Amino acid sequence: MGQPSTEVKPYLKKEKWSKRKITRLGVIYFFLLLLASFTIIPFLWTISISLKGDGDPIFSMPPQFIPEHWTLNNFIEVWNTVPIPTYLRNSVLLTIFGVSLPLITSALAAFPLARMKFKGRQFLFILIISTMMIPSEVTMIPMYLVINELNLMGTFAGVIVPGALSPFGIFLLRQAFLNIPKEIEESAIIDGANVWQIFWRILLPMVKPMLGTLCILFFISEWNSFLWPLLILQDESMHPLTVGLYKLQGTFVTNTRLIAAGAMIALIPVIAVFIALQRSFIDAAFSSSIKG
Amino acid sequence: MYKTRHAVFFLIVPVLLFMVFILLPAISAFFLSFTSYNIFDPIEWVWFDNYKEALQDSDFWNALGNTVLFWVLATPTLVIMPIFVAVLANQKVRGIRVFRLIFYFPVLVSVVVTAILWRWMFNLDGILNYFLSVFNLPAVEWLTSPEMVIPSMALVTIWSGFGYYTLFYLAGLQTVPKDLYEAAELDGAGFFKKHLYITIPMLRPVIFFVSVISTMGAFKEFTLMLTMTNGGPLDASTTVVLLVFKEAFQGLNMGYASAVSFLLFLFILVLTLINEKFIDRNPSGD
Repeated sequence: MGQPSTEVKPYLKKEKWSKRKITRLGVIYFFLLLLASFTIIPFLWTISISLKGDGDPIFSMPPQFIPEHWTLNNFIEVWNTVPIPTYLRNSVLLTIFGVSLPLITSALAAFPLARMKFKGRQFLFILIISTMMIPSEVTMIPMYLVINELNLMGTFAGVIVPGALSPFGIFLLRQAFLNIPKEIEESAIIDGANVWQIFWRILLPMVKPMLGTLCILFFISEWNSFLWPLLILQDESMHPLTVGLYKLQGTFVTNTRLIAAGAMIALIPVIAVFIALQRSFIDAAFSSSIKG
Repeated sequence: MYKTRHAVFFLIVPVLLFMVFILLPAISAFFLSFTSYNIFDPIEWVWFDNYKEALQDSDFWNALGNTVLFWVLATPTLVIMPIFVAVLANQKVRGIRVFRLIFYFPVLVSVVVTAILWRWMFNLDGILNYFLSVFNLPAVEWLTSPEMVIPSMALVTIWSGFGYYTLFYLAGLQTVPKDLYEAAELDGAGFFKKHLYITIPMLRPVIFFVSVISTMGAFKEFTLMLTMTNGGPLDASTTVVLLVFKEAFQGLNMGYASAVSFLLFLFILVLTLINEKFIDRNPSGD
């Protein structure tokens, strides 16, 4: 049994290193670069437009990718005419609450749902999870009316509060809590810890990776959220970047360069966070896809 | 060791939020669809009138047609193409991590920015038409002709979503035992046979998952149409949810809009069940 394999393997390996391996690599890189250009070209094109000076045509055949009279004036002008710092501040503010609140409530709810026994636990869990299946478009109208009834229209609270609880977050954190062995809680109780201490000092640190994952997922959706703020916030001084940019398109229909510069400014924070946390981003997407 | 009061202490805030902002809206959405609510007049029960009106409304059927066309174009591509991308991104070659990040990045870009980026790609003198002209093909009116606007939206959706689904498949590929491939190689299977007979069957649960998720995504899509074309030209890119949005927040026909969104919900539910029947069969059956 062992005899043929020792003869065959070196032969196969030797073949792999020759022409076949080079063509294989060539094919792989060809497709990788093809896909990468599909992904990247819209960004490059927008950067190029945002840097074009007055003498450079925006649209031409063939397209002019590298500006001849390149300038940063578009960025300066859009920064001066549009309240970008205000938009940025609003986006940051909404994102801070939009990430931290659901993180806190998910942890609070997931702990008893995973570790305690009480009447109706299963029912409550299934109820929470089943609402994940109702599309947000269906509940958008009543949600709007609830916010109206609570007099939260036009306030940051009206944007933040509906997102303060995430069934998805509860689900993922409950999974993480379930994986912790029972002995850890028991020994903590022997050491005299109360329930809050068990939660805060012992169990929560053990689910840190999942908290990180949720943090990233919530950040992406909050930073990019557009529709709900558009519906709730009428006052321009309260707009986040996404809404501001949407309105900007209406104001500067003809000034393509300024819109491009605005889009680039909106992208910078995302790129910065993405580069800083690249590994975690992929991990977050992975764990949410496997478990969700 | 825990008492019920402990559970109550932890659950009180989350459950309150759940009832007011998730359960209450979900239940009232259902009731709202049987009323003529329009914010100004008192609520009046009209029972199935909204549903009847929707089913007789050409705008509704037009929007449903657009949505189905969008789904037919976007979803199969988003189910199949990422399998290839994942196999590609799973190769152990230099710089593969950078490529994975590049493929994933559009997922993080907000719809508003995506709309801005692609409006210029689609310009008559834009890059896409330049590529076509290189191959001596005529220019296409991507966003301004009623026939092309939905395919154009599908293209943008594929651009922004394929990296996301690739990750699902990449995660699925990690679970395929390596010796299956080695055995197939010894039997003389080439690249395509190997993946056709091992990768695809092993990925079946992921394929099911991705088709459900991307189907739901396709049927709910409207922000892209709102920000890029506002449903035009001639309502050719008005999807069902965009119709709901316009009816509810511009026309203030909240009851009617709720009924339309429920019809869509039922439609998605049926599709998901069909999908389950066809794709998620027990693999041991064959």
